[in-house]
Amino acid sequence: MFSTDDTIVAIATPPGRGGIGVVRLSGPDAAHIARQLTHRDTLEPRHATLTYIFSPIGIAPEAPSAKIDQSVVTRFEAPHSYTGEDVVEISAHGSPVVLQAIVAAAIAAGARLANPGEFTFRAYLHGRIDLVQAEAVAELIDAVTPLQARVAFDHLEGTLTGRLRGIDAALLDLVARLEASLDFPEEGYHFITPAEAGEALASVQASIDELLADAAHGRMIREGLTAAIVGRPNVGKSSLFNRLAGAARAIVTDVPGTTRDLLTERVEVCGVPFTFVDTAGVRRTAGDAIEEEGIARARQAEGAADVVIVVLDRSRPLTDDDRALIEDTRARRVLVASKIDLPAAWNVAEIGALGVSSLTDEGIADLRAALVPAAGAGELRDRPAVANIRHAALLEQARAAIVRARASAAAGVPEECVLADLHEARARFDEVTGARPQDEVLRTIFERFCIGK
Amino acid sequence: MNSYDVIVIGAGLAGVEAAWAAARMGRDVAICTLSTDTIAHMPCNPAIGGTAKGHLVREIDALGGLMGLAIDATAIQFKLLNRSRGPAVWSPRAQADKRRYGQWVRAALQAEPNISWILGKAGRILVDEGQIAGLAMEDGTVHRCRALVVTTGTFLNGLIHVGPDRRPAGRVGEPPSHQLAESLKSFGFAWGRLKTGTPPRLHRRSIDFSRFVEEPGDNPPVPFSFMTSGLSRPQISCHVVYTTDRVHALVREHIAESPLFNGQISGIGPRYCPSLEDKVMRFPHRERHQIFLEPEGADVDEIYLNGFSMSLPASVQERIVRALPGLEDAEMIRPGYAVEYDFIQPTELDRSLQTRRVPGLFLAGQINGTSGYEEAGAQGQIAGINAARFVHREPAMVFGRDESYGGVLVDDLTTRGCLEPYRMFTSRAEHRLLLRIDNADLRLTPRGREIGLVSDDRWAHFEDRRARLTRNQSVVSRTTVAIGRDRLPAARALRQPGVDVRQLVDEGQLALEIREPLIDFASLETQYRFEGYLKRQEESVARLKRQEARAIPSDFRFDGIPGLSRESIERLTSVRPETIGQALRIPGITAAAVALIAAHVAAGARG
Repeated sequence: MFSTDDTIVAIATPPGRGGIGVVRLSGPDAAHIARQLTHRDTLEPRHATLTYIFSPIGIAPEAPSAKIDQSVVTRFEAPHSYTGEDVVEISAHGSPVVLQAIVAAAIAAGARLANPGEFTFRAYLHGRIDLVQAEAVAELIDAVTPLQARVAFDHLEGTLTGRLRGIDAALLDLVARLEASLDFPEEGYHFITPAEAGEALASVQASIDELLADAAHGRMIREGLTAAIVGRPNVGKSSLFNRLAGAARAIVTDVPGTTRDLLTERVEVCGVPFTFVDTAGVRRTAGDAIEEEGIARARQAEGAADVVIVVLDRSRPLTDDDRALIEDTRARRVLVASKIDLPAAWNVAEIGALGVSSLTDEGIADLRAALVPAAGAGELRDRPAVANIRHAALLEQARAAIVRARASAAAGVPEECVLADLHEARARFDEVTGARPQDEVLRTIFERFCIGK
Repeated sequence: MNSYDVIVIGAGLAGVEAAWAAARMGRDVAICTLSTDTIAHMPCNPAIGGTAKGHLVREIDALGGLMGLAIDATAIQFKLLNRSRGPAVWSPRAQADKRRYGQWVRAALQAEPNISWILGKAGRILVDEGQIAGLAMEDGTVHRCRALVVTTGTFLNGLIHVGPDRRPAGRVGEPPSHQLAESLKSFGFAWGRLKTGTPPRLHRRSIDFSRFVEEPGDNPPVPFSFMTSGLSRPQISCHVVYTTDRVHALVREHIAESPLFNGQISGIGPRYCPSLEDKVMRFPHRERHQIFLEPEGADVDEIYLNGFSMSLPASVQERIVRALPGLEDAEMIRPGYAVEYDFIQPTELDRSLQTRRVPGLFLAGQINGTSGYEEAGAQGQIAGINAARFVHREPAMVFGRDESYGGVLVDDLTTRGCLEPYRMFTSRAEHRLLLRIDNADLRLTPRGREIGLVSDDRWAHFEDRRARLTRNQSVVSRTTVAIGRDRLPAARALRQPGVDVRQLVDEGQLALEIREPLIDFASLETQYRFEGYLKRQEESVARLKRQEARAIPSDFRFDGIPGLSRESIERLTSVRPETIGQALRIPGITAAAVALIAAHVAAGARG
């Protein structure tokens, strides 16, 4: 568990060279340490101050100069800061050496090097962000593609929380009515009929299903998909791989069986990170031992892939091996007819293949567009997604509880058992947002109904 | 000067249970009361039980308390609410004969050799070196004691309102306690002011009951006490009447004269017990409200108008009553009134109902901000048990939220405090499926036996029924039954919806011993049919127990934890949670804050 009474420091920008690097301080001594580093008596809050950064140890023992950088320093007073504590951000030149020196100086002045995630933990502790938003910060930082970034930003903005709140409100209304019918049986009130309860539950379940569908979608956005390029030797897999990967990675020769190893490359396709895998030429009957191993690995990659790109040479007649491949890869595949710059030996329409030429680039864009749908991910909707495994798991549990409740209600099981499942569903929602409201059910009952003697 | 182990101030429904429990545990107990005529008096509703309240009565009874036996012996009508639903929400309820109830309890207390009586008005609480030393009466007499249980109900600075008429009173016709209120406050307890109301009483002879819908009792009636084998007294019916537009119009016309609405009363009322003014003004779209006519006894004149509590001027009340269809000639014996009173914030108490500021001082009942006879009785019993144990320097007896509604009640009060009068509902118990009327004895009677609350008689009866249940379970696990054309083990058959254990017994397929049909069948049915649900609740209980096992030292300083907001520190310091589990239940305290606390507690323990 993190300690929270000290002042932490860390480089906030990613490692590597860049124009600007930011060192962030958070904690009770942030302002004091900043004053020591800048040799200034005061630092006006929310004011970007151009100043020198000094260090008692200089930039390095061999270069014992006190001044290590000219930076822009901004101070944020608690609670109006990222963490809710006093924060100082030092925007220095992006040299790793300079940044390390500033951190070292801060430590010498009394700060402690922050643990991973510690700034965000403090922000959560001080109520600046809720759990979902805390996780979103990590996602935003980890985001690889623009779509991933947008999804993460959605989380940060709270739209997942908003959507969940809507579902929870519907569930709360249902729970309140059922509880009222148990706790106030003599009021002469009609709180809810079994039919109404059934409808409300069906609606809640549908809403969760929608969120979960987005979860699958979201996972794909977050983790990416794998596309294995398979086909007989020398049908043009490696050329296609190069085209899709955007760089001449694979070795392309005329001799069949050249690509012995599995080459992989990760690129973005329509907002989704794809890993392309170029396999050895799959002759269903092997030649030498090296080729056999290559074939085995190819099979593995094929099995594990989200979508298989089956490459068939249009300039040569289809062989038994080709047809075997077409048969074997029924689901989640794209059939590609390569070398369409050469005269056709068969018609692409016969087997529903997409014609491409790695030489002329013809059809490559269409192929890219076909990949995501072929992976079974459907349309890329521009909606907030449940991109986090933790959320998806909790929502699955909530859904399971709702399904149980529906089945019980339909089977005539007593309301208190149905309610047990509904309370569980609500508890799972609470775990997503980290909230635990109390007394809600009773409050809802009394606001709606005039009861009690 | 007399000296006792325990003095109980107040002989209401909390006080009598406290005194009874402590006396049964062998302590020397004195009950301080203004008059023995008002022992176990019911100031409001002439009824015991109802949803969740019936559960509390069963639990009081399972621990050898008075309430269940008293109501069984004297009630004039019995009903089991929620009968058409599952066993976890079956709730017994009975109309009481107020006079006879009080007499029964008085007789029981007077027959108990460990109980003495102090007649008079309690004045000041005496403390020696920070601990309870005794009680000084208003007339100066001093009595010594080692533990003191205060159950003064609505008497602390009580003020009664009937229209513009204001009279200091604890209940109608009884003087309030001022000196005692000030004495309590002098210890620095956080306190507040609450209000409650009661309806007018009508004269029976002025009502023609044939004009109303009759509400008879159950046949056969279901008793409260585990020790009651049969109820043979004839039952009396209640009646129902509905309000009309004319009634509502009259209320609206005179609303400015209602102390509840014109600001004359401070204090917050119970939202689940709305006055007539509340009903009419807050729910104007409601066409009619249900009112029950309940006799206050088999042979008394008073009819209690349930659902009609109000504090309008007496003359207005009469007109409104007579606007009810069928009550045009009704005579009002006593008008309804509102009463305001002081209460002590129950966050001042630990979960044995002892105040933290004054060791040996226990508070129970409406003084803690609850409403209801059963809530009072349950607290009284718990306070009495712990006062007795305190005297012998024994560890406190705390009931968990998974063990009883009493446990839920005490935990809610001490963890959350009271902003308005607290009433028990089944929805407050997250382990409702485990807290049923059929298993109250299984949960509590063994604990009562451990500390001397349970008589040999009751224990023998309990062991008998527990053994019977075990034998029945054994029969079920050994028998196969025919359901339609299938033969399957009875245990599996009973899990199927539509298979009724009673039916199998009637058909001769299951040879079970049934002595008390309702609870014997309920225990079996629940066990098999709702096995999955029970298992999930048990898992939740296991989680709760783990959290409850992590104790927070009583001298732990929350302000020593940086990273906690000031509000959190204030809350934690005032509630003083005893366990991590309790800390999690404090409103406004986040899980992250509790994680911090846990880390610091663990660090402290490591030294």
